[in-house]
Amino acid sequence: MTNANYEFAAHVKDLPVGKTKCIVASDKEILLCHIAEGFFAVDNLCSHAAERLSAGKLKGHKILCPLHGAAFDVRDGCALSRPATLPLRSYGVRVEGDDILINTDP
Amino acid sequence: MTQTTLDPGSARAPGPSIADTLRTDAIPAPAPLLETNYSFLGNTDLDPQRYTSKDYFQLEMDKVWTKNWQWACREEHLQDVGDNHVYDIGDFSVIIVRVDESTVKAYLNSCTHRGTRLLGATGSGYSQAFTCPFHGWSWELSGSLRHVPGRWDFPHISDETHSLKEVSCESWGGFIFINIDPNAAPLAESMDVIPEHFSHFPLHQRRIKLHVEKILPANWKAAQEAFMEAYHNFETHDSPNGANAQYDVFGSYVSRFIHNIGNYSPQSLSDYPGDKWRDPPLTEQELLSMLAVEQRPLKDGETARAVAAASMRKNLGAELDVDFSQTSDSIMLDSIEYHMFPNMFFFPGVLVPMVYRFRPLGNDVDKCIFDLMILEPIPEGADHPEPPEPIRLEIEQSYTEVEELGWLGKVYDEDTGNLQLQQQGFKIARKGITLGNYQEARIRRVHMTLDEMMEK
Repeated sequence: MTNANYEFAAHVKDLPVGKTKCIVASDKEILLCHIAEGFFAVDNLCSHAAERLSAGKLKGHKILCPLHGAAFDVRDGCALSRPATLPLRSYGVRVEGDDILINTDP
Repeated sequence: MTQTTLDPGSARAPGPSIADTLRTDAIPAPAPLLETNYSFLGNTDLDPQRYTSKDYFQLEMDKVWTKNWQWACREEHLQDVGDNHVYDIGDFSVIIVRVDESTVKAYLNSCTHRGTRLLGATGSGYSQAFTCPFHGWSWELSGSLRHVPGRWDFPHISDETHSLKEVSCESWGGFIFINIDPNAAPLAESMDVIPEHFSHFPLHQRRIKLHVEKILPANWKAAQEAFMEAYHNFETHDSPNGANAQYDVFGSYVSRFIHNIGNYSPQSLSDYPGDKWRDPPLTEQELLSMLAVEQRPLKDGETARAVAAASMRKNLGAELDVDFSQTSDSIMLDSIEYHMFPNMFFFPGVLVPMVYRFRPLGNDVDKCIFDLMILEPIPEGADHPEPPEPIRLEIEQSYTEVEELGWLGKVYDEDTGNLQLQQQGFKIARKGITLGNYQEARIRRVHMTLDEMMEK
C-alpha cells in the first residue's frame, strides 16, 4: 500500500473544464487541472527551471510553462517537449460530491 | 462512339447536371455556386515519377513549399497573448504567435545564435518568451532579443542582426497563412475567386469541432488527388452520388467540385457495371434513408433533398443556435469542395463542413500528413472556444477509431485505403498516369501549376 493523504483542494463548481488551481499542501505547490477526461494534479513547478505552471496555460491535456514553453501531460506528468526532459510528479485525485481531494503524499 | 465527335472535354455524364439540381432547389444557391468554369486543359499523361522521385520532391521543396502560401493554424489557436503554433513543412519549421491583441507574427523556428530549433514540439503551445534550449538566448514575443547570457562576448550582435527571422503571415477566413519566401506576394494573389466566393459563406464564423491528423502511406499529391474527384465514389464507396459531379477550374490556384447529396442521377450511371441504383432507380424515400437526418414518410411530390435540407435547418439550427433559415439547400447538404494550390481544401457546406490539408511527412516522398478538420458554424458574434487538440492516427490505424467521426470514419478509411496500392503501383508503371478530361481536370490543373513553378 502506498501512503495516502487526501486533502481538500477545491469545489467542483469552482473549477470548470480548461481551468487550473494551485494548491499549497505539505510545503508543496500542486497544480490541480480540470480537462475533458477529468481532474488531474501535478507539481506546480516546472521540472526545467522551476517556473510556476499556474502562470502558464492548459491546452487540452497539456500544461505549458510560461517561461520556455515546455509542455507536460497533466494526466501523468510526462514531459512532452524540450527544454523539459524530467517529468512532473503526479498526484492522485478523488471527487467526493462537490469536493475535489488530492493525495498530497503519493 | 458519339464522344469522338465532340470537342475534347465537352462530354458530360448523361442525365441532369448539378446546375439543373441547384436551379430547382427550394432555397436557391448563392451566385458563386451557379457559376460553371471549365475549359479543356489537355489530355497528355503525367509522369508517375512525379509521385516517387526524390529529385522531383526536392524541386517541390525548393520551388513550391518554400514559395507558396499555406495555412498553418486557425486564429482560434492563438486567442491569448503568448499562444503559439508550430507548423513544419519539409526541413522548415515556423512559429506563429499572438504578440498582442491585434498582432500575430511568424518566425523561423531557429536560434539566431547557432541555429538550434527553438520549439521542439509541433502544434499548439504557449509561452511568454522564446528561449533557446542550448545556450539560453531568449526573445520577446515580438521577436526582439530579450536576453543573451554572457553578453560581454557578443559585442557584434544587435536586435537588427539577431532578432528572430520573420516569415510572412496573413489571415483569411479564420485561418493563419504563412509563406516562407522572403519576397512573397500578398496572399490574395494566390486565392483567385476564393475571397469573393466565400464572402457568401464565411468560414471565420466556425469553430474546430474535430481535428484528426493521420499519416498516409503515399506521396502528398496522390493523397490529395484521392479527394479531388467524385469519379471514385461508385467503386471505392459503393455510392450512387458523384458520377455527375460538377468540376470547375477558376485559375492557376483554385478549383472546385460540387457533388449533390440527397439526390443523384440514375442516368449518369448508364455505363457503370450492373443495374445497381439505375434499374430500378432509388426512390426519394430510399434516398432520404441514406442521409443522417430525421426520417419520416415522404408525401407525394416531396423530395429527399428538400426534406433533408429543411430538417437540418430546423434541427441543426436549434442545436447550434445558428440561423439557417435563408441558407440554400446546396450549402446545407452538398459536398462543395474548393482546392487552393498547393495543398488546401475548404468546404463551405454545413452537412459536409470539412477542411483538408496535405503535406509531406518531413522529407519522405512516400508519406504525407493529412489534416482533417470539421468546422462547425457558431452563432453570429459568438466567441470561438479553445480548439480541441488534434487526434493523431498512424498509418496502420483506422479512422473508425475516432468515435466523433461517426459514419464518416468508414468513408475516410475507404478514401485512404487505396493509397498504399497506388504509391506502390506508381513505381512499376510502364506508362504515364492518365486523367479524365473533365472529372479529373482539377488534378491536371495542380500539375500544370507545379510545372509553372518548376520553370520559375
